[in-house]
Amino acid sequence: MPIDRVTLQILSNHCQAAAEAMARTLMRTAHSTFVKESEDFTCGLVTPEGKTFASPFDFGATWFVGLDYARGLSLIEDYDEGDVVICNDPYSGFVCTHTPDMHIWKPVFHDGELVCFAVGHVHNTDIGGAVPASLSRQLTEVHQEGLRLPPVRLYRKGELNRELVDIIMANVRMPEQNWGDMKAQYASVSIGEARVREIIARFGIETFREGVADLLDLAEAQARQVIRSIPDGEYFFADFMDEDSPAGYPARVALNLIVSGDEIVFDYTGSDPQLASSINVPTGGDERHVLLMVGAVYVLYTLDPSILRNCGLLRPLSCILPEGSIVNPRFPAAVGMRSLGVGRLMSTIFGAFAQALPDRLQGGPGSGGPLLNVRTTDNRTGRSVMANISPITAGAGASAAGDGSEGCGANQAFFKNTPAEINEADVPIRILEYGLAPDTAGAGRHRGGLSTTMLFQVFAPHTVLTARNRDRMVFTPWGIAGGAAGKSSRFIRNPGTAREVDLGNTDVVTVEPGDIIRITAAGGGGWGLAQERDPGAVIADVRGGFVTVEGAARDYGVVVRDGAIDEGATAARRRAMAAGADNEFFGHSPGRVAFEQIWTPRLYDRLTDLLWRVPVNWRFFVKHRLFDAVEALDAGEIDPDALDDAFAALIDEHPQLGEWVAADRT
Amino acid sequence: MSYRVGVDIGGTFTDFFVFDEATLETQALKVPSRPDRPGAEVLDGVRQLEARFGIAPGEIAHFSHGTTVGVNTVIQRKGIRLCHFTTEGFVDVLEVARLRTPDVYNLLSKRPAPLIPRERVFPVAGRLASDGSELRPVDRASVETAVAKAREACAEGIVVSLLNAYRNPAHEHEVADMVREMAPELRVFCSTDVWSIIREYERTITAVIHGYVQPRVSRYLASLQDALREAGVPAEPLVTKSNGGVMSAEMGKTACAQMIMSGTASGVIGASHVAALSGYRDAISFDVGGTSADVAFIADGRPQYGIGEMIGEFPIYIPTVSVTSIGAGGGSIARIDDVGVLKVGPESAGAIPGPACYGKGGERPTLTDAFAVLGYVGQSDHGYDAVQVDIGAARRAVGALARSMERSVEETAEAIVRVSVSGMYLEVSKLVSSYGIDPRDNALIAFGGAGPMIACFLARELNMSTVVIPTAPGVLSALGGLIADLKNDFVRTIYADVNAGTATAIREGFESLRALGERWLRHEQRYDGHAVFIHSADMRYKGQSFEIEAFLDADAIEAGDVAALEEAFHAAHEQVYAHADRAAPVQIVNLRLVALGRTPKPRFDCADGKPAIAEPEDRVPVHADGRTVQAALFRREALHPGHTFDGPAIVSQSDTTVCVAEGFHARVDGYGHLILTQGGEIRCRSTG
Repeated sequence: MPIDRVTLQILSNHCQAAAEAMARTLMRTAHSTFVKESEDFTCGLVTPEGKTFASPFDFGATWFVGLDYARGLSLIEDYDEGDVVICNDPYSGFVCTHTPDMHIWKPVFHDGELVCFAVGHVHNTDIGGAVPASLSRQLTEVHQEGLRLPPVRLYRKGELNRELVDIIMANVRMPEQNWGDMKAQYASVSIGEARVREIIARFGIETFREGVADLLDLAEAQARQVIRSIPDGEYFFADFMDEDSPAGYPARVALNLIVSGDEIVFDYTGSDPQLASSINVPTGGDERHVLLMVGAVYVLYTLDPSILRNCGLLRPLSCILPEGSIVNPRFPAAVGMRSLGVGRLMSTIFGAFAQALPDRLQGGPGSGGPLLNVRTTDNRTGRSVMANISPITAGAGASAAGDGSEGCGANQAFFKNTPAEINEADVPIRILEYGLAPDTAGAGRHRGGLSTTMLFQVFAPHTVLTARNRDRMVFTPWGIAGGAAGKSSRFIRNPGTAREVDLGNTDVVTVEPGDIIRITAAGGGGWGLAQERDPGAVIADVRGGFVTVEGAARDYGVVVRDGAIDEGATAARRRAMAAGADNEFFGHSPGRVAFEQIWTPRLYDRLTDLLWRVPVNWRFFVKHRLFDAVEALDAGEIDPDALDDAFAALIDEHPQLGEWVAADRT
Repeated sequence: MSYRVGVDIGGTFTDFFVFDEATLETQALKVPSRPDRPGAEVLDGVRQLEARFGIAPGEIAHFSHGTTVGVNTVIQRKGIRLCHFTTEGFVDVLEVARLRTPDVYNLLSKRPAPLIPRERVFPVAGRLASDGSELRPVDRASVETAVAKAREACAEGIVVSLLNAYRNPAHEHEVADMVREMAPELRVFCSTDVWSIIREYERTITAVIHGYVQPRVSRYLASLQDALREAGVPAEPLVTKSNGGVMSAEMGKTACAQMIMSGTASGVIGASHVAALSGYRDAISFDVGGTSADVAFIADGRPQYGIGEMIGEFPIYIPTVSVTSIGAGGGSIARIDDVGVLKVGPESAGAIPGPACYGKGGERPTLTDAFAVLGYVGQSDHGYDAVQVDIGAARRAVGALARSMERSVEETAEAIVRVSVSGMYLEVSKLVSSYGIDPRDNALIAFGGAGPMIACFLARELNMSTVVIPTAPGVLSALGGLIADLKNDFVRTIYADVNAGTATAIREGFESLRALGERWLRHEQRYDGHAVFIHSADMRYKGQSFEIEAFLDADAIEAGDVAALEEAFHAAHEQVYAHADRAAPVQIVNLRLVALGRTPKPRFDCADGKPAIAEPEDRVPVHADGRTVQAALFRREALHPGHTFDGPAIVSQSDTTVCVAEGFHARVDGYGHLILTQGGEIRCRSTG
């Protein structure tokens, strides 16, 4: 029987307080920067069935609202009081999503009965494997991404499993950090357990159990209410990553969003096959996997910030996930850099929802700037220095409510930068410029948020820059409701000199003394027609330096002379812009427009159809061969049948494929 | 005859607290605030002190004052029009801040608009390296251009904040001198003069807040001085500071950044004094007004300090008494949300229209209305400023909600209290976890208009056994000013590894800070008593991206005892984070010094009241835990040291109502404070 709503609200506050206490205990006692500064951790309480019913709001990663522990929990039989389980294998139960994330759970008992689990994870700086920090786009198998632990007891009935600890510590590069964080995680789940016991003592076990069920039901009811406010319909959107592997071809995430009454289906049919790089998103085919849902959770919360963030929220949502795709990779695909894949997954979800709610949501969020790591030498001491310097971030997309947030926002609003003074004091580089990059926003009646840019100089030979998650050079954040796309991200060595090199989407580069590097992220997409932007807002942007005089004329049709608007020239320019408008809902980058002139949605659909006719391990190879074949054809629109011909030729070349394809046909 | 007077000027009321040095008696007075004519309320109050208590202005030998004018100027964005002169290439220090938006789950969340928009940010050419050496001199032409643009932008002041200036203020001072020469009408503020710390945003925003409020604060303090002079008060007024100390009002005119949180901090100082007097060295200060509850922690008799405390939407990095504001107060409005769940706050009826039962136009049910329906509030109207409580209006407001909840009015009122208290519990519990303290070892010091009403219910939720209600809960901030010491913070960033090679630099750094401290106390404050210097440093393990403050032994600094300095940090790290790595290299980011001049404290009389059961004035029905019970009703002035009674009970006094919940035992201690306990009092440490 449901408990009364007043008691439920009070119980909810107490469960929330337990989760907040877990988060603060973890933050306070953890060793690594990932926890203390980047807040790359989660914690919370889940039902015996693995459903998250309480998680912290103020701290922690934003990606894991409603994480379902069910499949992970079930891999251990017969929990005892005092047991603590850890797991970091992305393929054991699909709770963990890449190897650096060490998950932990502790069963909580009341009178001998299992009543819930206290859970959490921490992103370890390193978990061993092929490269320091365990993550690289170039890795192809999960085995290269470090030590993998399927669910295993760290404590059995309160007694530490020292042999397990020894094995972990022997396999990682900074064992003290891992062990320090693990102790903090243990403290966190223990606080969670103690708080749950207090809650049960106060409310009684029946009220607790019923109340938890009611909290999940309540979140579900809230979610359904929000979904009912979204017009029914099917909304298709596809977004691309620039490269499916180092210097590779674009990769597509395709989504057909089906809103019907108070439920939503996310159909990912048409998305790329799993990649031979670590951008894959491991979901184990779980139709409500949290990585697939994070974009939707953002949308629901934005539409109604009062919703409870727990597993119940996800009940009205489900996904269709083609097996062997980027969103449902088969073992042993590498998944370490799934953050890049999830980022694109989220923008695809936002694009689909934006069509349904153009006045309540925003244009494409800026991204594509890297998490930047520098390894160099201090010339004064001869010592090697390695440090993460500031992440290069980008602003949010614009919405009916106004311009996008500058420099950081939307689904990346959690980023914090590193002060230039700290960077210069810690790393022997000189920062020449850090701030917002003018004109990078997608134009519109409301413009996107500007991206950030950094210009810096290095002074030692063989300095290695690692620029994780570089993207959005070609396929930039799109505008909506007539708004324009954000400008491309950039990564340039020695800009404006004879030695200028465009580094493109390179993610590791070695530079030499005196070299100057410019990195700029891609700006947020615009909302509404740029020629309808209030000229007063444009001139204010010019005065603030957010838009240049040239940019004002080119992107907004506002002609500025001597600091004032030239009314006549502006009117003429804006008339011309209006006449040339294409009336498309989405504003895409020139790179995407050019790409889609060849790779029309029809042609790309045909490509994915064909790829699903070959075995999973062949798809990436076949995709690249078919792209090669299309590149060899004359530019211009290509008939999908031409792709069939190329496919047939490929089968002829590899007869071992022919049998499979033929068998599959029947 | 000699009197000490503490004054706290709030948005609605101004509180006076008077201590008679001869008789040790105290008096409290409340007059309406006059935001339109600052100083007028002080004049008014001083006159009333004479009329009511026979205190001649000429007998006021000590006058201290806490004010909210600084914080309000920021919150209402009514400061002066500033420009920021920055290093070329870094025009977005304020715009970008540290990136992160306030609500990271909301796709549309944005940072607040900066206090200086980018059209008033101008680059200056010139550059210092991270070790403070000059890479490129200041380019005079670029300053000329910036000044011309600032004038064009109708600037009233300039904040000069340049990259790496924390290592060497020369460039900032050079630019400031040029500005003074080129545009003498502009006020100039250098970031390194306000608070010289590493991290360009943190240093710049602190200087901006300082410059933004300075003219207003300075004018305000001048009018206060004038008002006192006019009233014939001989004492040179002191103002309370964000760090819980005091300084002369004259000093406050230029050291505004130090007194932004003046009013709030003195409340916590007052609370810690009450806590210490009553024997509770560890306490949670709980100050509840109409719209918010301010929570602060007191450990071993001293408030916790923090840096990066929020002033409205912006952080300030000068050490400040840590106060967390929770969006819940007596005026918090109750409503049913879309899915039928009862919510209380954060929307508040504030002072106007206020709770329905105050009859000032409020119609929606508030927490105070719920207490009125339950029978706690409005039982006894007395006191010169008490509002008439209209219980009928409260029942009507709560009744509307009761109908939609299909509950009785009393049940609904009780639900409002329970939901509101559980929300406060959630917020206080977060703080408890962040500090790593156990609330059961702490006393809850409740004050402000609504604190004593809610305290027992919150204590129940937090499992706290002891609640302290000060004698005059409305005037704790005024009291705080009376007992605060002369106190100033000094900082110097050195960003050095701790080793034998840097011991000299550390010693010399502290020597120069002590010289500044001496000068501040002796010359600027004209203090001739015993000076105390507290040495500390913001330290970290090399590679960590945050620092913690470690207190250092002056002898160890003098002797260059590196091991002792390191151990001080390891111990502090262990205390805060529960672990330390004694093999890891340690860095000092900032040297810090507190200069302290102890002011003579009022001695409060501790009466030896004989234990006696207090006789209630009346018994009234209250609704509690789903039933109606008879509660004893007391007037606060009729309660004397030694008196005891049991809850449920109501204590009515001029500035608040104390609800003593069932299960609580009350006693009046020697100072007149109400000590409410449940399930056995917590151990009292010696007050030393």
